[in-house]
Parts: sequence; C-alpha cells; structure tokens
Amino acid sequence: MDTPPVERLEDDAALARRIARARPGRAPEAEAELCRRLAPRVRLYGLKHLRDEHAAADLMQQVMLMTIEKLRAGELRDTDRLASFVFGICRMSVLELRRGGLRRERLLEQYGEDLAPAAAPTEPLFDLERVAGCLEKLPQRERSVLLLTFYEDRPADEVGAELGLSAGNVRVIRHRGLARLRECVTGKAGA
Amino acid sequence: MNQAACAAPLDERELSAYWLGELAEADEARVDEHILGCGHCSARLGELVALAGAIKEAFRRGDVHAFLSDAFVKRAAERGLRVREYRVPRNGSVNCTVAPEDELVVSHLEVPLEDVSRIDVVLHAPGLPADVRHDVPFDAEHGEVLFVPNLTQLRAAPSQRLRLELVAIDDKGRRVLGEYTFNHTAHEA
Repeated sequence: MDTPPVERLEDDAALARRIARARPGRAPEAEAELCRRLAPRVRLYGLKHLRDEHAAADLMQQVMLMTIEKLRAGELRDTDRLASFVFGICRMSVLELRRGGLRRERLLEQYGEDLAPAAAPTEPLFDLERVAGCLEKLPQRERSVLLLTFYEDRPADEVGAELGLSAGNVRVIRHRGLARLRECVTGKAGA
Repeated sequence: MNQAACAAPLDERELSAYWLGELAEADEARVDEHILGCGHCSARLGELVALAGAIKEAFRRGDVHAFLSDAFVKRAAERGLRVREYRVPRNGSVNCTVAPEDELVVSHLEVPLEDVSRIDVVLHAPGLPADVRHDVPFDAEHGEVLFVPNLTQLRAAPSQRLRLELVAIDDKGRRVLGEYTFNHTAHEA
C-alpha cells in the first residue's frame, strides 16, 4: 500500500504513529516533519513561560529531542494525545530549565546531532517602520495602552492602575488598538 | 489535531490574555495544550508575539510618541535606560535638547486635574498648523500629563520654540488648563 508523503499528513498524530511504528530512527521524514510543525509551537510555549529567547530555544531543543526519543521508544500509546504528551514534556522541561538543568550542549551530547530539530524561523514578520507609522496614527489611548502593555508585557490591571482605567477598559482598548494596528500594518480589514 | 484548520479557534482576546499572564491557572494550561496541538492557533499566537515585539522595538528606537505614566519612566530608568526628563510648571517654559545617547525624553507637564475627564493637547510649531492630539491619558493623582516625544523627529528638529496647550474638554465646552513653552536647542555634534 502506498503511504502519502509526510507533508500531506494533516494530522500530527498520524506523523507520531508513523514514527512509533517504524524501527527507531527509520522514519526520518516523519520525524523532521513533526519537528517542523511542533518546534515553533514549543518555542512559543517557552517564550510565554520563560520570557527569554535563548531559554525558549533551549526548551525547544530539549522538548523535541525528548518527544522524538519517546515516540521511537513507543512510550506514547495513544497518539491522539500527542499535544497532551508534549505539554507534559514542556512542563517538566521548563522546571528543569528554571533549575538550571539540562542545557543544549548536554542534550546534544546525550542524543546526538542527528536528532537536533531545525531552529524555528526568527525572521521579523513585520516591517518596523510601517509598524511605527501605524502606531503614530492610532488614537492616543490605544497607543498608550499598547506601549505600556507590550513594552514590558504587563497585564491589564497593572496598565490600568497607571492610566486611571479599569482592567476591563484596558482590555477593550487593547483589543481595539491591536485590531486597528494589525489592519494598518497588513493593509487588511479584520486581518 | 489538524495542521491547517482549527475546529474551535481561540478567541483573539484570550490569546492576548494568555500571552500577558492574565488567565487563571487552569485556563492557561488549557491554552498551553491547545497551542501545542494546533498549527492554526499557534500561528496566530506567533503573529501576536511578533507584533508585540515590533511595538516594543519601534518604541525602543524612538519612532513613536506617546503619553505614558511616571511609573513607566521610573522603571525605564531603573533598567538603565538613559532618560532625559523635563518638569514644566503650568504656563511655564523650559530650555531643552536631546543628546545622541538619550534613549527616552520625557516632559512632565504640571497641571491641576481635579474634575478633568478629558484632555486634548494642542502642539504649535513654527510654520506648521496646530496639531491636536485628542483624548490623551493623564495622571490625575500626580497632577501631570507625561509626554514622550518621537525621539527620531526630535533629533532631526532644528533649534526652535514649541508651544503646547493642554485643553480640558467637557460638557461645558473647552478650557485651556495650561500652556508650556519648549525652547529646543538642536544638539551640536
């Protein structure tokens, strides 16, 4: 029976099944495709919880290596639970990284270069001059809320306390400001 | 989980709240797991994070003006940013400039703000029509409006006198709260 190319497998679980059913290391295309899909998501998880690009990159390496290793070893019985499985590895790895545990060098030493996933793309998505020009066009309150929020990643209650606004009001202004900024930057209404 | 589409996409507001740490623990864990399993929503989160980074970088480069808070300026100084601050009394003036090493220039415009609900700022520059900035945020508790100019434009500005008016807007109409004069001297290399 013909097997479809890995990039046409829409379901992540199908990739995980293909890795789990192959002899260890004999499904390199499925492993590479799964890494290509999951690595950017794990990087975002790392940025969210570690707030540091380098730490997020370390996490990404660690989680992808462990995920592939465990799939090869058949440790995930129900591949439909892949996200939950990766989430568990992420949580454990964040704790380890916070404790100053495994670093990339040790991981590579342990697992070898052949399993190292490609780094997530880091090219900027937005033209900075265009973003600045669009920010300058926003209503004052929207600009102030967006800057106070995203310059330091501060939640609505803290931003509100500094501008004399309720947290709910800040969230409304933030949502409106982001929508208007995105529309201006991308040139698409409702983008 | 499907790579291209999502049967139950996360709400835009929830994505922002997640990124900013506003969700309760259980909700955050639910979004964590969804993001890890969903190409569509993780791409949307990635776009939000990139836009947030671009906002930060545009302001860091000095390409954006804003009305901000005293607490923000204090945190910026604590982080080691080179901050040049001017305190301008109501109806007063100040001699000012910007140096190449300045990373943030801040004007504290002192003004009584009791019973003020909305302020417009009118900027008068030589040879240009009046520039009105509507409904600016202000700090009523400290009695000031805190203006952070566009640093890139300020660096390019010639020596000149700029005048700024704070105007209260309410159901009785408009009243000028104060005037502020900036005698700007362009930095000489």
